[in-house]
Amino acid sequence: MPTTLKYDPKASSSFLEDVMKRSGQKLTACYQCRRCAAGCAVGDGTSPVTPDRLVRLIMLGDKKAAISNDLVWKCVSCYTCGTRCPNNIQTGRITETLKKMSKESKEAPRLPKVGYFHDSFAKSGLRWGRVNEMEFMGMYELKLLRDKFLEKDFDGIKEEIMDQMRFGFSMMKKRRMHFDFLTASGRNEVKRLYKKAKKDQFK
Amino acid sequence: MEIAYYPGCSLKQSSNLYDSQTFDVFKRLGISIKEIDDWNCCGATSAGKVDDFLAVAMPARNIGIAEQQGFTEMVIPCSACYSRTLVAQKKLEDHPDLKNRINEGLFRKIKGGLKVSSILEILARIPKKTFKQKLTKKFKQLNAVCYYGCMLTRFPDDVEVPDDVENPQLMEQILKIIGVHALDWNYKTACCGASAAMNDPDTALMLMHKIILDALKRGAECLVVTCPMCQMNLDVHQDKVCEKYGINKRLPVYFLTELIGLALGMSIKSLQIDRHFIHMADA
Repeated sequence: MPTTLKYDPKASSSFLEDVMKRSGQKLTACYQCRRCAAGCAVGDGTSPVTPDRLVRLIMLGDKKAAISNDLVWKCVSCYTCGTRCPNNIQTGRITETLKKMSKESKEAPRLPKVGYFHDSFAKSGLRWGRVNEMEFMGMYELKLLRDKFLEKDFDGIKEEIMDQMRFGFSMMKKRRMHFDFLTASGRNEVKRLYKKAKKDQFK
Repeated sequence: MEIAYYPGCSLKQSSNLYDSQTFDVFKRLGISIKEIDDWNCCGATSAGKVDDFLAVAMPARNIGIAEQQGFTEMVIPCSACYSRTLVAQKKLEDHPDLKNRINEGLFRKIKGGLKVSSILEILARIPKKTFKQKLTKKFKQLNAVCYYGCMLTRFPDDVEVPDDVENPQLMEQILKIIGVHALDWNYKTACCGASAAMNDPDTALMLMHKIILDALKRGAECLVVTCPMCQMNLDVHQDKVCEKYGINKRLPVYFLTELIGLALGMSIKSLQIDRHFIHMADA
């Protein structure tokens, strides 16, 4: 991230408006009191970006820096920032919006595992009507392993598989692993709605 | 009156012990619940990160089902499902056009007016006297800390929160009835990391160690939770957390329904507490 901030009024207003509209948050109300930063659960590990600085980055129109920083990808959506904001800005919603924008811009996410996880989860829930833990974790792991394979990180592949096997066995021992497959028979209702919404969006 | 029950995916899989505990405890307390028909996944926190429309449409179908089955209230024990459903309901109320669009595609339409409740709201509503009459046992010396996590009191939208946002008390009130001593502590609404335990373990372990450390320093003998994700994270990954941060002691993580169940005379076996990773004896 650059240490000197550049301000491009044209670029900033369209990006700012876009983020405001999609997240439903009024970023222009931010007066940088930093209560969000003080309460941020992950703020200690996302230097130099804290929620207040993320808002500032968006105001300045630096899309690249706003999307590709640790805060956006490490944010756990605990919503402490927004709950404490005197101006009711939910920065947690902003990080969620930026994750979506990152995906649309086809840029590799800063923490690919986070993107893969939520994608696999939501897709599993949509596909079957109910999330199947084993299926969605399998999809998620496959995406990780594919990346490691492309990087020719074979030790990493072995380690990941061993880790997951150990985890699986420990869960099985406590009967916390589930082998039945869950579905909702009306799942097509939501699927069709989603398809139509996507189509309308790009009309 | 019968209350609709939405279990969610987690309560039918890795945390199905919580599903059966909820049924048994409610039955013994005289609260009648019925699982709604053919419910679907609420999208949890993932849908909101993938697509905003999906994050509303997924819980919307469940609201429609509950309403068309004639229920006026629905209890959701899982905090993520509870939060997502409540927030989707608020969005539908605030945006009639969105509601119409979604209703067009739903077989069972949303009318509006369903009350979505957490398990704490239902339990706290039982008159103290009635509750006490059903108890066969009372805890005497158990020191616990109530861990609410994120999703019971903090929402991405302005929904009405039935408890204090920064210092909730409903769980403490309920524990007092069964004789458990709830300690004051700093991390009752902190975040356990949720899915970060899988996709960003360093962050999740860091968050969890703060929770466990403060609970231990206060002299707690266990954590009490209502969220299956919090329970899973703090129980399953506790050894990893404690090894990384040099913590020698361990803390069992109980569902609220487990402590109530014991006070109602149910056994550890029937409550399936033996399926936890950390037990009282390990602590």
